[in-house]
Order: sequence, then structure tokens, then C-alpha cells
Amino acid sequence: MNVTGHLGLFPPLVPPGHAGDFLQSGRVLLSTTSPLNDTLAVFAAANVPGVQSSQHTAVYSSDDQPIFFASSEVTPSSERRLFIGDTSIIFAALQNLTNTARARGPEWLQNEEGQRMIRKLAMDYINFTKECWIHASQAPSQPEGSPQFSDDHYRSLYACLSLFAVLYVPEYGFEDAPVGDDLMEWLNIHFIEPSTEEGDHLSGLERPWQDETFWPYLLRATLRGLSKAATFFIGTLSRHSSADLRRLSGQVSPLLSSQPRLQNFSTERDFAYASHRWKDKIKTLRIEMDGVPEADRQDEFDNWWDRLSDLIGILEGRGEVIQKVCEDLGADWKEVCVAWGVFTDTRLRRQDLPDIVARILEEMPPDPTNPEDMMHAALFNGDPARALIHAAHIDPWLGAHLADMMEVLSLIEIEANEESGLSLRNHYVLSYAQYLHSDPALWRITVAYMFSCGEIGIRSADEVLARVPMGLRRTGDKLIGSGEKTTEGTSNLTDLARVVKDVNATCYEYQREEVRRVVCRIAAQIFVQEKEYGLALSYCSSAEDWPGLGRVVDRVLEEYIDAGPDQFTHYVASIAPSLQAVRTQPGAQGIFIHRLIFAVRYAEFHQRLKNQDLYDAAADLMSMFQEDLVPKSWWGAILCEAVTLIQHNAVLLFSYASACILLQRLEEVFTRADQGSGDDYLRVLMAKSKGSTLQDALTRLQATRLALAKYFARCAMIGTGGKQIAERRFSVGV
Amino acid sequence: MPSATTSGAVPIETAHEDMIHDAQLDYYGKRLATCSSDRTVKVFDVVDGEASKSSPGHTLKGHTGPVWQVAWAHPKFGHILASCSYDGKVLIWKEEGQGPAGGWVKSKEHTLHTASVNSVSWAPHELGAILACASSDGKLSVLTFKDEGQWGADIFNGHAIGCNAVSWAPATQPGSLIQPSTAIPGQPSTQSPSVKRFASAGCDNLVKIWGYRDDTQSWVEEETLEGHTDWVRDVAWAPNIGLPRSYIATASQDKTVVIWTKDTPAAPWVKTTLDPSTASTSPSPAAPGKFPDVVWRVSWSLAGNILAVSCGDGKVTLWKENLRGNWECVSDMAS
Repeated sequence: MNVTGHLGLFPPLVPPGHAGDFLQSGRVLLSTTSPLNDTLAVFAAANVPGVQSSQHTAVYSSDDQPIFFASSEVTPSSERRLFIGDTSIIFAALQNLTNTARARGPEWLQNEEGQRMIRKLAMDYINFTKECWIHASQAPSQPEGSPQFSDDHYRSLYACLSLFAVLYVPEYGFEDAPVGDDLMEWLNIHFIEPSTEEGDHLSGLERPWQDETFWPYLLRATLRGLSKAATFFIGTLSRHSSADLRRLSGQVSPLLSSQPRLQNFSTERDFAYASHRWKDKIKTLRIEMDGVPEADRQDEFDNWWDRLSDLIGILEGRGEVIQKVCEDLGADWKEVCVAWGVFTDTRLRRQDLPDIVARILEEMPPDPTNPEDMMHAALFNGDPARALIHAAHIDPWLGAHLADMMEVLSLIEIEANEESGLSLRNHYVLSYAQYLHSDPALWRITVAYMFSCGEIGIRSADEVLARVPMGLRRTGDKLIGSGEKTTEGTSNLTDLARVVKDVNATCYEYQREEVRRVVCRIAAQIFVQEKEYGLALSYCSSAEDWPGLGRVVDRVLEEYIDAGPDQFTHYVASIAPSLQAVRTQPGAQGIFIHRLIFAVRYAEFHQRLKNQDLYDAAADLMSMFQEDLVPKSWWGAILCEAVTLIQHNAVLLFSYASACILLQRLEEVFTRADQGSGDDYLRVLMAKSKGSTLQDALTRLQATRLALAKYFARCAMIGTGGKQIAERRFSVGV
Repeated sequence: MPSATTSGAVPIETAHEDMIHDAQLDYYGKRLATCSSDRTVKVFDVVDGEASKSSPGHTLKGHTGPVWQVAWAHPKFGHILASCSYDGKVLIWKEEGQGPAGGWVKSKEHTLHTASVNSVSWAPHELGAILACASSDGKLSVLTFKDEGQWGADIFNGHAIGCNAVSWAPATQPGSLIQPSTAIPGQPSTQSPSVKRFASAGCDNLVKIWGYRDDTQSWVEEETLEGHTDWVRDVAWAPNIGLPRSYIATASQDKTVVIWTKDTPAAPWVKTTLDPSTASTSPSPAAPGKFPDVVWRVSWSLAGNILAVSCGDGKVTLWKENLRGNWECVSDMAS
């Protein structure tokens, strides 16, 4: 078993050494995972449900019963967040590219255009890690403080990516070109040897060959193809006491600076020819060297001949010499492999590299405690899948992005693993996405990576999307949106609406309609709680949650009961604009829309009452009844409210026929109440006058009955039946 | 990269007057509900792994015995919390507005059980607001919230000597044809067929799977998982993570944790016992496949890929299925 992580709680739940007491106390450590960021909440609990636990407390008691939070991920911060954000753009570009390839056929990625684009994106990753490395190395002096990851970490990413590009993403048309020079360039950029300080030190000396660092420096510079430095110090030997050495060094100098480089030739054939000619000159030099008598090979400090022989050995490309020199210099397998491609086999191809590397690694194995070294070895060795294991160990970021490119380049198995259901690429990309999930504010990027990982990725993304934080906390009287890490006070319901809008947009983008609806429903719940009925309503309608919409309207109607008409009309003003939109929405269920229409009309009615626009108020009242908009539970309440209009002295506001309708409704209420269904008709009226009984409500309605009786009497007295009013207002309806 | 970090945050002091039995984070991980032998349930706001300094915890009083478990309902139903207790009751709490007690009110008392109720679990939200309960009276019950504020209840015999835990199957069955989310705005939603199904763990050493039959409007015992040799303490059905396979984890008094897998809806359940014997950190256990002590709790991560196991040895271990289909302990946590 591979236990990779061991977590200890700090501060400790149990003092060190007292674990036994803890267990004897009958307690057990339990945990629950946070859906927010996968942290674990850990706590001690009594371990025997089902029986009383008082005996445990006697043995062990803790005052606080604390709960700890622990995480196996380090939440990204400072420069890391920038890095994650910037590189996610390149990731998205590669996604677009593969999607295009899917549309145009897989061979498109193999042609020049596709290959150039992949290489461009690989270069983009390299440049970003380089930038981040430079940024992190300057960070201590920066105002925002030290970076989360060291500059060495980014250097390591930069080196790994660069090597990957050299070996696996060559320029289009150069796949089959010799790779030695490119590898040497990589080695010299990322693992600088010999150091500038050593060079400065030596160049300040009158007789540098007397310094113990002279020959090692010279050999290293030669090994690294640094011909300028090597030529310079070879040149100093012209002042050496040995005439042989003076002569020989004079011959080495031009050879060092004239080693043919592939980049200086237009065809490989010319390069090969020039290399051959150059090697011939080295051979001549070797013959000349061998002519130096044994006795003349030593100066007063060193056996210069042996040293020069090593140098010539390197130029000759003798494998055993290169390896010996590297071992003496403390250089590792990389240096041997790279030198092989520059000196031993100048036409070494990428595909031939693993054979050489395997041989060298057998004698000079990589450092198993250094994941970067292991990763380089796997890349050199032509084993991308193994390189991924080490890459993920260095940083899940590296594992994910390399795996993503490797799949596009067909370097790794595309088929899903039978057990896990994940391809290699998806495995590493999902691991990275799960790391990103430790920071809820990175949800957009998290889901972007997840959505690129097939069905399993989509499911994970759904869970993250559905849980994008949008709950509200109260701080004193202020509402604090907790969707993102915003400064206190600046965020409010507008922020919540913004988060929901963002999530909605993301759901549209990835076509996650079910999730979108769930999120809208939750948002509607929160808005109802905050009495933002307009927003609640529009989210219900967006989720096509018609029963939910009905419940929002009910809540608004309850506002009338609890807070009175002014408050009610205020709230209805916020939901009224939705009415038109909802009515035209296909699939909207009539009964709930009906209730919404009632709320709007009822608020209009109250507005008119308030404005003393009594004709229109009376007309509203009648039309609500005539169009059957009034829910039964409201009949009692509205009939009660009609009294003031019925009793209005100045004019008769209702037609005779309208008054008849009111009377009919009133009688229905009384009859139903007699039959025991009074609650159905009088619920709102009873709720309005809190604590009133059914009988109280019926008594109040008697007032309406009396008012109506008087109204009919007035109509009779005028002898017009109120028809003049009816003709003005109700000719159609009556 | 560091492979593990300890929490540097200040622990949440629940100030329960007696031992805690359960703690659950809500849907967003922003609130923590705890319950204790002190007969109360408490709710805290959590900010960055610490208790919110600006809002005090709320104490919910109503039970008359130790409270064993709490469970948060899906937020689309509102802020709703269920708790179950030794007093034989299940209480449903609802947060309404922002009153002095945090606005928490008891909205339903479920009193059909005649002995301690040991476990409560909310069904997947797609099925509606439905709560399953397991009791020492040997019965299981299912509460269903109806639109008009009413609750319906089914109660039936589960495990004769006593029921310890319940856990719901995901709403969409793995292995049923994977349906892309085809609903488009403005069109009626085309939801995948959902199943009402849960697993229960009992003192009869069994795990039973129950399914709801629409035609008879009743719960039917569909399958029995035999294999444990002592009380089954906990059961956890894994969320559907997109694999064509179902997973159930069970923890038992017999010191074992079993992962039950079902490759297709028609296939039998296959039993795999977790093997902690090779874990480097574990003191030599009694036998291969056995934990050092009784295993009390099993729970799946949100993505369904990590199983947390709480053993009586005071450790929580995290388990993951590797690429070869073997279960490995990836992390452990000690008190």
C-alpha cells in the first residue's frame, strides 16, 4: 500500500502520547468532507450511537468539543493564481485546436498548419513558466510578498517543458533532423556550467593553468560546446613553459571554434561532410599528440598531456572519455547523453536517442529522490507515460498540461482505462482540476478543465457548478455575499445576482441545462428569503419551475397579510414586469401564472384605492371576480374590503349586475361555511386579523352583506339599477 | 509539492456541553451543523475553515435525548436540516428569515418510531425533499415533503434487531444509458428516469437495498448484501460519477470495510474487502483485511472517488481505487 499523505491535527486534538486515553474514553475520530473545497472537517465523537453515552463523559470530557479543518491541497495564492489563470488560456486554445481537428478530421493535426499551432502553444507554455520563474525570483523585493512556490519550482517546470518541446514538439519539418545541438542548447540554458565566477577567477590569473580549476573549467566548457570560453583559455597556454603544449594548444584553438554546427548548414549532407572533415583534423592532432615523448607530458603542476588528451577525446567523441570526464567533473547522465549527440554521433536522431540513453542510464542512473531528474530521464528515454508520473509528482499542473499535449501528439494511450474509465490524459487533467477545486473562487477554470474530461469530467464539473458559492451571510445588519473573496461591505445581493448570472452563462456554454435549472432554483430560494421577489420570480421562470413560481407569488401575497397593502404593492411592483415575459413562455403552467396575474391585479386595485381612483378600483374588483382570478381563500378578504366601495356615498360605483355578482359570491361563502368548508374561503381574512376565528370572519362579512343590502336599496331608490354606471364600465362584462 | 498539510486554522469550538455525535457541512460547505449528547443541534457559519467571527452559532433545542445525526436538505428546498435522536424522534428544522434564534424553527416532528432513531439521510434532490430514517425499533421510515407544506410518511420493517444507517442511491442509475443533458431553455425538461432507492445497514449483519414501487406505492426489499459477520455500522452509496458501475461502502463491528460493486444494473453485487494490513502506518492488525478496531463510519467524497473510513483506532483513512482496480489507502489522519 502506498500511503502518500499523513495528516496530523494542529493544534492537537489529543495531547501527544495520550491517544490511548482518547480511545478508552469511547471516542472516535470522524470526518466530513466539505463540498466547497474538499477539505475535511474532523472531530472527535462518541462512538456508540443507539445507547446513552453519559458513561463516556465521565471518563473523558472536553470543554470545547472542537472541530478541525484539514486539507491535503495547498490552496493557490498570489503568483500561483496568476499562473493558473494565464496558462488556462493556452489550455483553452489547445482545446479549440483539438475540437477543430475533430471537425476537420484527425489528419489535420498532422499537417503543417496543425503541427505549427501545437508547437506555438507549447512555446506559449514555456514562455509563461519562464516569465513566472523570473517573476518569482524577483518576488522577495516585491510589494505583494513572497511567492507561494519558489522560483526553483518554476525553473523546474520551465526546464521540463523545454525539454519536452525539444524532444517531442520539434519545428515542423525538423522532426527527423539531428537533435544534438538543440539538446545542448537546452542543457546550457537550464543547467549552466561552468559558472561565470570560475571563468572570471581564472581570467584574472597570470598563469591560470596553475590553478586547480583550470583544466576542469576548460573540459567543461569544451563538453558544453562553449567554444569561445574554451578557445580563450586554450589561448592562455601559449604562455606555457612546455613547447609541445604551446604548439598543440595553438592547433586546438582553431578546431574548437570551427566545429561544424547544424544550424550553419543548409543541408544535412553539407553538415555531415564538414563534420567528417573536422573529425579528420582532430585525428591528425591526436597523432601529433601521441608523438610527444612520455617525459615531456608533465609540467610542474600537472600531467597536462592527460588533460589535453581528455579534451581531444571529447572532440573525437569517445564515449568512454566523455563519461569519465563527466564523472570526474560531477556531471550527471544528462551531460553524457547531450555530449553524445554533439561529439560522438553528430547525426543522432530523436528516435535513436532512447537506445543511447538506456545504455548511459545503466551506468549513471538518475537520482530517484529528484522527480525532476527522473522526469528528464523518462523524456530522454522515450517514455512519455512514465514522464507523466514524475511530472504530476512535481506539480499536478505539469502532469495535466503535458498529458494534454501528449494526447494531441499521440504520444500516449488514448483509450480509457477499464477500471477507472479514464484515459491517461483525463486522469492527469482531472487530478489538476481537483487541486484547483481547493480554491472555490477558481470555479470557472476548474470546470473548464473538468469539462474536457469526458463523462466523468462532466459529472464532476456539474457538482462544482451546482455548488458555486452563492449563499449569503449576515454580518450585523449587512448582507455579505460569499461567492468570491471580496472585501467586506462591497458585495451584496447584486453580487449574488452576478454569480448566478455567471454560472448560468457557464451552464449555457457547456450545455448543462439540468444544472442551470438547479442553480436557478436555489437562487430563487435565496432571493425569496431576502424578499427580492422580482429576481426570485425570474429565476423560477428561468428554471421553468412553475410550482416554485407559484410559491413565490404566495409569499408576495403573504406580505399583504403580514405587512398590509403598501408593502404588498411595493413588492408586486418588482414582480409585475415578469408577468408579460412569463405569459409568453412556452410550457408555463396556467394555474401558477393565474396566481401571478391575481397578485398583479390585486396590487393595482390597492394602488387605485390609495389614489382614491374609486371607479377604477371598483372595476378592478369586479373584473378579478368575473375573470375568476381570485383564489377561493381570498374571497372573504376581498369581499370584506369591498365594503368601503359599496358604502361610498357620493356615487354608486357598481352596476346593479355587479352588485348581484358580489352578493352571489358572498352567499357562496356563507353556504360553504355552513357546510364546513369556511376555511377554504376565509383563510386569508382570518390570517389578516390575527387570531380571529371562523366565526369572527363570518361576522365581519355580515357587514358586507348589510352594505350590499343598503346598496340595492339605493339602486332601487334611484330607480336606475345603476345602469348608467354599468353602461360606462361594464357593458361588455355584464 | 507538499502532499499534505495540517490545518493552521483555529478549530471551531462548538461549546456543546456533552460529546458530539455528528457534524455535517451544508451543500456549499459554508455552514456546519453539529449534534450532541447535550440534546441540542448547533449551526455555525464557516469561513475559511474557521467559525465566522461575525455571526454566533445557533442552538436548536427540541430533542429530549442525545442527538445522533444531522443532515442538510438540498438548498433548492430552502435551509432545511433534519436531526434524529435517542428520543425516537426525527425533527425537521427550517430557517425562516433572520430571527433572534437565527430564524431556525421546528417545522415537523416525526414520531412514528418507538426507539432511538440512529440515522437520517436526504434523497437526491431530483427526487424531491425525501428523508429516510433508520431506527433501533427495527424499522425504516421515509418522509416525503409535499408541495402544500404537508409531509407523508412510510414506515416498514427493515432489520429485525435494529437499523443503524441509511444511504440513498444516486438519482440516475449508473449503467442506465448515459443521457446527455438535452434540455434546452424554453423546452420542457427531459430528465433521465430517476430511481427511488436506498441501502440500509442493520444489527442483523446485513445490508439491504430498498426500492420504491410506483404501482403499489410501497417500498420493496430488492436485494440483501450478506458478508459481514457482525453489526453493520454504516453504509454509503457512492455518487454516480459517470462510470457504468455502482459502488456501496459498508463499515462494520467486525472490523472490516466492504466495497460492493455492481457493473451493470442486472449484474450481481461483487464484494471487495479493504485491506489495511499492508498500510505502513497501521500497527500490525489482527488479520489481513481487518482494521485494528471497529469501523464506525464510511463516507464518499463529492466526486465519489475517495472514501473516508473512521476506525475505532482513532484514525481516519482515505481510500482510492487505483488504475488497476485495487483499493489503496492514500492518506491517514490521526487525532
